Amino acid sequence: MKHLFLLLAAACFVLTNVRAQEITISGTVLDEKQETFPGVKVVVENTTNGAVTDVNGKYSITTEKKDDLILRFSYIGYVTQKVLVAGRTELDITLEIESQVFDEIVVVGYGSSRNKELTGAAAKVKGENLEKLNLSRMDQALQGQVSGVAINTNSGSPGGSSSIRIRGLSTFGDNDPLILVDGVVYDSDGLNALNPNDIESINVLKDATAGIYGVRAANGVIIVETKKGKLNAKPKIEFSMYKGVQQTANRLGLLNAEEYAVIKNEMFAFGGQSMPFANTAIGEGTNWQDSVFQTSPVESYNIGISGGTKNTRYSLGATYYAQEGIVGGSKANFSRYNARLNLSTDLSDKLLLNSVFLFSNDNRSTLSENGIGSVLYNTVNAFPNEPIRTPDGNYSYLEEVADIINPIAQMENSYNYSIADKFVGKEELVYKFNEHLSFTNRFNYNYAVVEAKSFTPLAWYGPGKFANSALNAELESPQVEIADSVFIDRGASVYEQRSSFSDLTFESYFNYDRAFNELHKVKATVGASVFQRKGAALNGTAYGIPNNSWEYADISANTAAGGYLNNVGSFEFKERLVSAFLRTEYAYDSRYIVSGILRRDGSSKFGPNNRYGWFPTLSSAWVISEESFFNVDAINFMKLRLSYGVSGNDQIENFAYRALLNGEGVYVFDDLIVIGTALGRAANPDLKWETTRQFNAGLDLTLWSALDFTTNYFIKNTNDLLFQPDVSGIIGSYGPGGYSPIINAGNVSNKGVELELAYHNKPSRDFKTNISLNFSHITNKVTSVPEGVDYLPGAQFSVGGDVATRFEEGFAIGYFHGLQTAGIFQTQEEIDNHDVVQEGAGPGDFIFVDQNGDGEISFGDDLDKTFLGSPIPDFTMGFALSLRYKGFDMSANIYASIGQEIIRNYERQQPYANQLDYVINRWTGPGSTNEHPRLTTGATRNNSFSDYYVEDGSFVRLRNVQLGYTFPKKSQILKKLKVESLRFYLSGNNLLTLTRYLGFDPDIGGGTLSAGVDYGFYPQAKTIMGGLNIKF
Amino acid sequence: MKNRTSQLISLTLIVFSLIFSGCDKFLNVDPPYTQDAENYFQSPEDYEQALVGAYDLLQGSFMSVWISEIASDNTIAGGESVNDTQGLHQIDEMTHGGVNSELRSLFRWNYAGITRCNFIMENKNNIDFTGKDKILAEAKFLRAFYYFELVKFFGDVPLIVDERIGAQEATEIARSPVSEVYAQIEKDLLDAASVLDPFSLVKGKATKGAATALLGKVFLYQKKYTEAANKLDEVINSGAYSLISDYADLFTVANENNSETVFDVEYTGAEGGGYGCLICLEGNAGPGFQGIRQYNGPVYGDGNSYNLPTQNLYDAFDPTDPRRDMTILDIDAFIAAQANPENITYGIGAGGHTGYYNNKYIKRQNELGLPDNDLTSPVNYRVIRYADVLLMAAEAHFQNGNVSEAQSKVDEVRNRAGVSNITVSSIDDIFNERRYELACEGHWFFDLVRWGKAEIAIDGFQTGKHELFPIPTLEIDLAGGNWSQNSGY
Repeated sequence: MKHLFLLLAAACFVLTNVRAQEITISGTVLDEKQETFPGVKVVVENTTNGAVTDVNGKYSITTEKKDDLILRFSYIGYVTQKVLVAGRTELDITLEIESQVFDEIVVVGYGSSRNKELTGAAAKVKGENLEKLNLSRMDQALQGQVSGVAINTNSGSPGGSSSIRIRGLSTFGDNDPLILVDGVVYDSDGLNALNPNDIESINVLKDATAGIYGVRAANGVIIVETKKGKLNAKPKIEFSMYKGVQQTANRLGLLNAEEYAVIKNEMFAFGGQSMPFANTAIGEGTNWQDSVFQTSPVESYNIGISGGTKNTRYSLGATYYAQEGIVGGSKANFSRYNARLNLSTDLSDKLLLNSVFLFSNDNRSTLSENGIGSVLYNTVNAFPNEPIRTPDGNYSYLEEVADIINPIAQMENSYNYSIADKFVGKEELVYKFNEHLSFTNRFNYNYAVVEAKSFTPLAWYGPGKFANSALNAELESPQVEIADSVFIDRGASVYEQRSSFSDLTFESYFNYDRAFNELHKVKATVGASVFQRKGAALNGTAYGIPNNSWEYADISANTAAGGYLNNVGSFEFKERLVSAFLRTEYAYDSRYIVSGILRRDGSSKFGPNNRYGWFPTLSSAWVISEESFFNVDAINFMKLRLSYGVSGNDQIENFAYRALLNGEGVYVFDDLIVIGTALGRAANPDLKWETTRQFNAGLDLTLWSALDFTTNYFIKNTNDLLFQPDVSGIIGSYGPGGYSPIINAGNVSNKGVELELAYHNKPSRDFKTNISLNFSHITNKVTSVPEGVDYLPGAQFSVGGDVATRFEEGFAIGYFHGLQTAGIFQTQEEIDNHDVVQEGAGPGDFIFVDQNGDGEISFGDDLDKTFLGSPIPDFTMGFALSLRYKGFDMSANIYASIGQEIIRNYERQQPYANQLDYVINRWTGPGSTNEHPRLTTGATRNNSFSDYYVEDGSFVRLRNVQLGYTFPKKSQILKKLKVESLRFYLSGNNLLTLTRYLGFDPDIGGGTLSAGVDYGFYPQAKTIMGGLNIKF
Repeated sequence: MKNRTSQLISLTLIVFSLIFSGCDKFLNVDPPYTQDAENYFQSPEDYEQALVGAYDLLQGSFMSVWISEIASDNTIAGGESVNDTQGLHQIDEMTHGGVNSELRSLFRWNYAGITRCNFIMENKNNIDFTGKDKILAEAKFLRAFYYFELVKFFGDVPLIVDERIGAQEATEIARSPVSEVYAQIEKDLLDAASVLDPFSLVKGKATKGAATALLGKVFLYQKKYTEAANKLDEVINSGAYSLISDYADLFTVANENNSETVFDVEYTGAEGGGYGCLICLEGNAGPGFQGIRQYNGPVYGDGNSYNLPTQNLYDAFDPTDPRRDMTILDIDAFIAAQANPENITYGIGAGGHTGYYNNKYIKRQNELGLPDNDLTSPVNYRVIRYADVLLMAAEAHFQNGNVSEAQSKVDEVRNRAGVSNITVSSIDDIFNERRYELACEGHWFFDLVRWGKAEIAIDGFQTGKHELFPIPTLEIDLAGGNWSQNSGY
């Protein structure tokens, strides 16, 4: 009855209107990229009369002619535009994305939330901001983009990883965040497989609201979403490519041959030995850096197709990326093929299928880097008086130091690769009961096969070199006894490993989202997840590779008698996680929001005593700007947030809770290696995860509709650290392959402030500005260590030297610890009158500070050692600028890290090793200098670890600057080329770094306790690129 | 709304309970292909394999050899610099204290060996099979060996027998008096000797002779001269051993397992290895470390110039005694005697240089350990060789007043060396003979100590303190802080 009435009323309405004078308005709607925009709602203001743009972005609408006729154009996520028709019949319009970040959708784990309604500290980075940098890895591109996320480069070599630290270091163990790509767990090592071009957005959960991921959330969570298509959009084909050249951004100041000869003569004379150079006028000599660094290419080609029909959205793409190293060229190479398919389709009104498939094939070759004996270490220390090749054409031997070899020869003899084929994907079915309740079931997989090969040819670097694999310069092969009195030639050898890893996740959850009376809004997520990870590997070494050649380097080419293989091994592991989770959220009048999370995890990493854990989080937000009393014109949006919760870190070895016979029990009987069994790590059945309790207070503001401001203050305390402290030797854990048990002890605290500022001018067609700035400050402190443990030793200084970094109560994780200097003794008299006894000191030696005031410098123990610095910066800053004026665009990206220190540890302290040119200013006699000590080959404590080897590592880096031009929409060129849009650009990475650090690159990552220790770090390249983007 | 909410809550509860009811089984993952410590010893092979693991710690002996030579007047620490393996430099100068990573390694390794033996003994009654008694006897021999190392170095040490202990128990255990530790050692060696075969078909296994000779040595160290003489005579009279004709052949790989070998630590060069974990090596780290620094020339390989013989040791020899040059390599003299001396170079480490190298355990080009050439050597460490047995017997007999027995043993040793006989008129003659015969083999410091001659021989040695090394301070702390430190430290 009611329906009938409505129908009648509508009919009357239509009939009466036919008589009035009508007008038809049509036109095209474009999006912010000046592309046609399908699916936009066009409504005549104050009526229900409307239309939707078609696949070409066109619309047509007929309505009564009025003077004040207004059309309203709207699309979710875009600024709604109202346009006065003013008699026009053709009306084209461009919609701009809503400028405020607080209107963005943020993915928060098993669901999403509008930033406005978010109660936790989360951040979002759009894929385009990563793509712009043209880097091979997502983590590299993320540096400086999000406050509270510190990213340091572990290696600048192609395919080198970074360390990702969300809100500081909370353990000396595994500090990597949980990374999920479309819900699939990715470990940070596996990021080589992920193509930054495939990323739609990166969402970072920084505070306790990451606790929806429970026992894996303590280090924060990074959620990566890949690109998706749009409904009702015609196919869009995009092609992009760039090519570039790379070179080292920095070279070290090293001694040339003449300087070297003079200084070494003095050094030997001081040591009471005869001077090695009768003639010091030997010119410049060899600049090893010139030969080691090279200009090398980088290139990338990417094609993508996306679009959608009424029921289906699709996005697919393929990318090829290749980069060669600035050291080693093709010997330090990284290349990758990616293919991607993202498909969503409505199987019925109620059932939605989401399917993602990512394939990658990546191939990396590496040189020995960042360690004693690595290529750059050898380059720095190689003697400038030696040629690269001797007149007879052989590589020079650099004979005087056993562990320094000719870096050019070293690169030539380096052959290896690691190829990973990775299949990642998800199949997801979403059943919508109604508009409020949906049920999601998904199956995620991540399968990788890794094939690694490393070839050791017979090589001779000179007499006595430990790197030699041949017996002599004639490349005679050493013999190996494989059985009693059975000898074979070892020859060239090849090591191969095949491993496979598979992660399977099944997740099932309900999402509920409903508003009641416009005032009450309820959201809930409840579900469960089952995860299994498996891995297996097999490896072996084959001897006697024919022709000493990489071409034959395969186990199948083994010519050793009886097919003898060495170092044959295998491993297999399995781990499981079962979880259930609940998140409920209630909002009153969009002003007051409270949210609770509860997760329960059961993990096979822990024994029956502590297998299950609860992880609760509470958070809330108050949108002050929605209050009726709030009346500040300048502030468009203002929100206060609070959160507190508990999450865990389970990143330890499997089966650490039980005692296994996985120690090394190997002995030699009858001259053959016999493998037995031995106790491995001692058991701890009470082992549990590290627990992080985090408090966060935040404020979000939008000012003058143009400036977004977010700040967070957090306190993050991690307890029950998974410690492997020393235990009493009498337990017997210190045999080969044995370890002390892992126990829960020790606490770490991180406190910090984060600021984010973003400015956008009012969008207009001609001019657009985006400026964003973020700032992070973190105080890191170890607040307790286990009883009986003074500190945990970290990295070693020099060869066989002191422990230079520590994990110790009251200090930052991995702080530097050593002797403090106070100038140089100028005369023997000064030494004799010095009130502190410093054994072995002579004029020109350091004056060390007597920290404990006992009147004596103790070198054998730690009594006079002290805090010398920390690898943790006082603050980091990211700055991004993008400008668009008509067709031109310009962007720049700056990253600053201030206040951290670096240990200069790439100097081989051997009499003949080359040195940095600061030694020119060494002490040569009373009054010559109070900074650099004398040089001598004799016994001296100047080489002990002291503040002399600790440098300020602060830097400001122009990471990227880019200039582009996009041809106007209607230009002739586009028509001729039959393309929709065309953009060219020039881009430069790493063009400028301001730093006082002497080494190659101050952006140094490293392990938790070896962070900031420079062993001859492979620097990031300086790159100049040109590229283009075409859309069809 | 209320209805929906209660539906949601009940759904939640159902999901949670479903997930966690059936998942205990799912989460009980066993490590694939890895055996658990608690369900081992199910077959004879399990015992044999565990025994291999117990032998493994013998390979840490190079550390004990270093320290007992460097601490004595025989050698200096050497190496790249005074910061390089600092603990050895401190021992060299008799300035060592409770913080010394080399002493700590020695402490830990020997206890790891003991624990592996105890792991077998703890499970000795699990199953019965033929040959079990031999396996247990070998385990006892090894346990005695490790405890003997510990009492030599540290005196009173915690005595743990036939059980493994946990972290808590470790803080409750006291240092047992030397006498109790020695009693356990004697008991283990007697048991072992009564079961083990006089000969082993497998090179490297402990034999009856090895257990008896070690027992003789243990008695000698306790000044139980009658028992020592009895046991050492038992070895001599067994007829199982004789001196080989050429002293120069004693320390080569080619001549291992000869008639003079009573017990060796076995090494191989086949596996290679790294400096990161010296106890993990299957090769002997000694010769590489003791090799000639940056050497480029014939015969020898390159090394790290550790453990360098002193002028004092060189001068102690009669210049006509061929054992001097077999024991000590005078590097400059050696180079000068080669065909092209000007082409031969070597380096001098800032850790010290004497011009001499340890010629018994040194890197030789035909004995390179592979694949690393540098670090691992296949050369066995001669723990007890028959000449040592003869000299120990001579000492025991002399102390018992049986001078003629002592004389004949010393004669036998000197004849083989190719030097004329001396008349054994005082115990010092036997002491000196031990130095000539056994220098650089890891005995000398403890010989000096037990004879009370260390203070005279060693600069900086303080009687009443340096006879024992300090218990590592950290080990005292980790054991609950209840142990007292050795006196003087």
